[in-house]
Amino acid sequence: MTTTTMHPLAADYLHRLERAARRLPRAERHELVDEITAHLSEATRPEMSDAEMLTVLDRLGDPEDIVEAQLPAPGERRGSREWAAILLLLLGGFAFFVGWIAGVILLWGSRAWNTRDKLIGTLIFPGGLVSALVAGILLATPQRCTRLNGVVQHCTPGPSTTHSVITIVVLALLVVGPFCTSVYLARRAR
Amino acid sequence: MVAIGEGVISQLRRGVLQFCVLALLREEERYGFEIVRTLSEAEGLVTTEGTVYPLLARLRKDGVVETTWRESSSGPPRRYYRLTPAGRSLLDAFTAEWMRFRDSVDTLLGTGALK
Repeated sequence: MTTTTMHPLAADYLHRLERAARRLPRAERHELVDEITAHLSEATRPEMSDAEMLTVLDRLGDPEDIVEAQLPAPGERRGSREWAAILLLLLGGFAFFVGWIAGVILLWGSRAWNTRDKLIGTLIFPGGLVSALVAGILLATPQRCTRLNGVVQHCTPGPSTTHSVITIVVLALLVVGPFCTSVYLARRAR
Repeated sequence: MVAIGEGVISQLRRGVLQFCVLALLREEERYGFEIVRTLSEAEGLVTTEGTVYPLLARLRKDGVVETTWRESSSGPPRRYYRLTPAGRSLLDAFTAEWMRFRDSVDTLLGTGALK
């Protein structure tokens, strides 16, 4: 970035644009910022007066409006593919995990989310709700006793209180996490 | 008094702007700043120059324009836009449609009757 040789108002404008453009996928963001940077370097000179600079920037328009123009039209946002991705990430794990993988493929193939959203969608939590079920089965091991001729010989100690508390917390996280992710993805989709 | 909704005009502008971009590229390739400045010199066509760049990106994604980098004598390399064959046929189709549309609207606005 050659903002050092730029007029301070132009540099400030580019910072605002970069901030606004965080909503865009990486490649689009780079291209847009590059083009506006090129525009500014064509249209301005470092020795321009503030008034001349402001005229150029006014003609260019508000950074938020430019980013808004780059986003898909409202009708194109959150299409059926996006809803399918959200549902499959949440529940697809029950279909032998394949459904969840399909959800991940739809998620990463969509332009509705940026990379951070996609990482969150994938990592919280892999498998969606099915991981809560699996973890529930694994963690909830009941007391086990060995018997000989119907007489109890030896018992492994049942889950201690701390163990139960941890189990409940982990399970709650595993259930709440995927739901939170679904809501988050639905809100972030554009 | 009834005002023309700003929405109507901006929708009209949004609808035709992409074809004006294609038309600018009919004869020669141009770089972004050149396209933007030419468009904004036409009265009432572009209100914010910056929003033309997202449009250029979309046209490229749709495959109606393509880009190449070329050295510039006065600074860093420039990204040049030119029509693809698909863009050229889209432009031709729009031009024919627009002529008919314009004639009908002009006639109605002028005399209130079609020829």
